[in-house]
Amino acid sequence: MAVLSPTAAAIESSQRRPFRVRRALRLNLIAVPLLLVVSFLWAYPFLWVVSTAFKTQLGAFTAGASLVPHPLVTTNFGRAWVGAAFSDFFANTVVYAISSTLVELTKSAMCGYVLARYRFPGRDLLYRLIIATIFVPVASIIIPQFVLIQNLGLLHTRLGVILAMSGGAGALYVLLFTSYFEHLPQDLFDAARVDGADFIQTFRLMLPLARPIIAVVVIFQFIHSWNDFNIPLVFTLGQPSLQNLAVGLQAFHGSHSLDWAGFAAGMTISFIPVLVVFVAFQGYFVRGLSGAIKG
Amino acid sequence: MADPGPAVAVSEPRAAPGHRHWFQAARDDSRFWIPVFLLPFVLLYFGFTLWPLLATIVYSFFDWDGVQPLNQFIGVDNYTRILSDPLFWSAFRNTLLFAVLNTVIKLPLTLLAAVLLTRRWLLFKRFFRTVFFLPIILPVALSGLVFTYLLNPSNGALNSFLLERGLLKQPIDLLGHDNTALLAVILISVWQIFGQYMLYWMAALQQVPEELYEAADLDGANERQKMLHVTIPLIRPVAVIITLLALVNALHVFGIIVTLTAGGPGRATYVVSYFIYTEAFQNAPFKYGYASAAALIFAVLAFVFVTGQGVLARRAEQLRRQYGV
Repeated sequence: MAVLSPTAAAIESSQRRPFRVRRALRLNLIAVPLLLVVSFLWAYPFLWVVSTAFKTQLGAFTAGASLVPHPLVTTNFGRAWVGAAFSDFFANTVVYAISSTLVELTKSAMCGYVLARYRFPGRDLLYRLIIATIFVPVASIIIPQFVLIQNLGLLHTRLGVILAMSGGAGALYVLLFTSYFEHLPQDLFDAARVDGADFIQTFRLMLPLARPIIAVVVIFQFIHSWNDFNIPLVFTLGQPSLQNLAVGLQAFHGSHSLDWAGFAAGMTISFIPVLVVFVAFQGYFVRGLSGAIKG
Repeated sequence: MADPGPAVAVSEPRAAPGHRHWFQAARDDSRFWIPVFLLPFVLLYFGFTLWPLLATIVYSFFDWDGVQPLNQFIGVDNYTRILSDPLFWSAFRNTLLFAVLNTVIKLPLTLLAAVLLTRRWLLFKRFFRTVFFLPIILPVALSGLVFTYLLNPSNGALNSFLLERGLLKQPIDLLGHDNTALLAVILISVWQIFGQYMLYWMAALQQVPEELYEAADLDGANERQKMLHVTIPLIRPVAVIITLLALVNALHVFGIIVTLTAGGPGRATYVVSYFIYTEAFQNAPFKYGYASAAALIFAVLAFVFVTGQGVLARRAEQLRRQYGV
């Protein structure tokens, strides 16, 4: 029986194969057109932004729902990039996103590693505190953060914004790293020890193994800080030269509310690079995340 | 070995006496490195999370504008004023409504999308996934701005489209009416965050072993049965965590409110984080004390939400262990 039943199953499934192919085709005939319609509606705001970026200022105002720029112009980009200082906003966003991602990654990997592999006085207290404060809302602690940055003399500097963006977050990342390093096989550590590896050498051996967690932290924190609005808004009030895209475009919208085409051009500039990165690394998103769930 | 000392590796091998020498060295080494490794996180954690939490409590008992010295102790006055401040209660109600509705709408839809976009038979998967992910790359605040144009009552895309086709006689101002503004904001937020939750679900679905589906196939199970009896029970533990994240993130709603409605019309979309922001930073004299009291009430609210869910999450953890997912 034990030998027979898989064979029987194989025969049965090979008989069903033509049926399956037809069924797949039928399902696609229903799903694909439906998904295409939904996709169009879903992507419409993007298509609208990109097409509006090529319209004239008047054309943008009167085009309604149309996605065809008529007449087509490219002057909006120059006006947005140089005239409205989107280049500054863009540069600031890149600086903030990259530095806060690096800070988050470094501090959470180091702390998570030590929490996972060593016992020391205060370890359990620290671990419990981190868990207890994972979900503290930013809005609830932003006032003292502001006071702290002010007292450090860093208000209205890029360093101040970066510190505020990467200082409060990260508890969740530490827990991800802790749980991952805890589940690495003990044999690895024993082997490193037998080979005479010291603390730093062992850490350098283990860190690359946490690649899935590193991917998750980088992706999450990069998207988070690229999109961050609350902290940059509060910490750059009245300082346009320090603002990121989200805050700067909001201000631009307030002062040039009739320049739809200029706004759309700025938006287009702001999301094309992210789109490229996103499409390129799409595979990592799901794989990294499911590695994190497993860990 | 009898006295492990303050800093010891979690699972020390029971080293033979001959190994004592290198082990001793390793231990001294880690004594130095453990504090060094903890320092960056702990320093920032104290400065930007723990101390601010305590400071918020302290500020909330003072009348303080952030400029004068902190010496106007007023006891619980801030709290009594807030509890009778109708604007705060509107914000409170709207925040809860936003968090719950946003979660209830986005989770089933993103799960459905994740299931559909991971079917093996589906064509053009990569394209569809990219489209649904797209809005994440827009900063939340910017997606709010885009929709102020699209929903503009005089010449926005939505109204133009509906009016031209005669589907509408009068232009509608979705963001300008009390009863539609909050719903519009919720839906726009769902659109923006959709990809992130779809991603969570896809990662969860990937954890279900393929053999289980094959076994179900052999038993003649159809798609619906496989969903109900294989997929859902197996992803339930992760689902609790996703729900928790969804609720808490929705409680933090801020950027989209600032750019879409600024809390309006009236106070129809006023939320707590916006309340704190306007009280503390928008109009001089700044009311740090008053805003801190609101912030503390908000933190407690978030905590109650989380602990309520935490009970569920702990159960989920047990289930997770049980299934070895």
